Amino acid sequence: MRQYAFFLGCIAPNRYPGIEASAIKTSEKVGIELLPLKGASCCPAPGAFGSIDLNIWYAMAARNVVLAEQMGVDITLICNGCYKSIYEVNEKLKHNDELRDGVNEVLKEIDMEFKGSVDVWHLAELYYDPKIVGLKKIADSITRPLSGVKIAVHYGCHLMKPAKERHFGDSENPMWIEELVAALGAEPVQYRNKMLCCGAGGGVRGYDLTHAIDITNEKMINLQEAGADALTEVCPFCQLQYDRGQIEIEEKFGITWGLPVLHYNELLGLAQGMSPDELALDLHAVDVEPFLKKIL
Amino acid sequence: MAVKKDYKDKKLAEKLRDRKYYIPDSNPEFIKEVEKIGLTAAHLCYQCGTCTGSCPSAPRSSYRIRLFMRKAILGLEEEILTDPDLWLCTTCYSCTDRCPRDLAPTDAIMAMRNLAARRDIVPRNFLKTTQLIYQTGHGVPNNDANRAARMKLGLEAEPETTHKYPEYLAGIRKIMDHYGLKERADKILAEEG
Repeated sequence: MRQYAFFLGCIAPNRYPGIEASAIKTSEKVGIELLPLKGASCCPAPGAFGSIDLNIWYAMAARNVVLAEQMGVDITLICNGCYKSIYEVNEKLKHNDELRDGVNEVLKEIDMEFKGSVDVWHLAELYYDPKIVGLKKIADSITRPLSGVKIAVHYGCHLMKPAKERHFGDSENPMWIEELVAALGAEPVQYRNKMLCCGAGGGVRGYDLTHAIDITNEKMINLQEAGADALTEVCPFCQLQYDRGQIEIEEKFGITWGLPVLHYNELLGLAQGMSPDELALDLHAVDVEPFLKKIL
Repeated sequence: MAVKKDYKDKKLAEKLRDRKYYIPDSNPEFIKEVEKIGLTAAHLCYQCGTCTGSCPSAPRSSYRIRLFMRKAILGLEEEILTDPDLWLCTTCYSCTDRCPRDLAPTDAIMAMRNLAARRDIVPRNFLKTTQLIYQTGHGVPNNDANRAARMKLGLEAEPETTHKYPEYLAGIRKIMDHYGLKERADKILAEEG
């Protein structure tokens, strides 16, 4: 078993706890043990904090990284917003002495020091990496193949972009999460403008909801064109935007899409035999039942 | 300070608002500050428009990132920092990945937002998120319905974060207080009523 400090973020534990539960259970089956990262906070929200003062964003994210440094293990996480804060700040502070010194001056006040001794990974990339888990191990772990369903992938912006500050290569048409979907027995489908934002980021969801869900609605049009049975992502904030956003689209625009939205860990849980109850799928705003009927 | 432009016809004044500038409108230091905070060489922008063409906010609003880049280079600080469109960037970074000069327009926008925030120009929702984190450690805190759902899943009611270990909140508050963020957020929100 490889061990990682599990950075939870906010929306997974506090809105979609099925993502947290499935991440822990599904990872165990592919050789990853997720350890509690005690006392972690919000990453903090890169839109809100980064917009107000990047220095506070650096310091707050660094505090979370230092908690893992004290444990002596790398961090893994399940949210792209968290990935932006935790991964990006960790890398920036490792490579920019001026930023690191500034952050450490603040952290000194709470008896902490950023050392740069751990790395940060998105759980999905650990699943994809053949040196850690790999597609074969994922495929071998499933007991209920998701055959006969078409699943579209939303990568989410902060996982892939800016590409030069990531290590996933091209951000225009990545395919690796589709490979993870195919490993579950489902058929990944391509759709127009796949890398378009969900609409929620940068504080826009809170600032101008109509604007935010108009972007979401454009995604929905493109997803329906492709005939997707469900949308999967690796970011609870994108999930919230697509899931609750569809209800908001109904209320504001009078359009009903009814497209189930599931985090990749929820899909993996289903494929590994977890029941919808064990995933708290009833907490989803858009009914997941039509999708479940096709696979159960 | 911007010069008062005294067109009697209000519509005309509005129409010409972006066209007539005077030397005092321009702060040549502004672009340098943007570059320092955003870690970009934004002044090299040659206005190709790839950013606006890639922007998910552009087709549904008057937000034009190319215009912000140009205005920043021209030093039109006042106009930029008071423009409500500044807060419509979803930070998707499509413009950043496609910019042929590698100028990270997204980070330039974030820097301009930081400069607006220094003048206490920040939308409410941004400040409220920071207040919630000060109180609970989370921007989206736990609630009773979610606690019940967590227990049904075999998870503890409170996640292994500041929710379960509130003793860690002191450190978070010290960091935010170091920058006076809580105090400022409270003050701005109180003034707005």
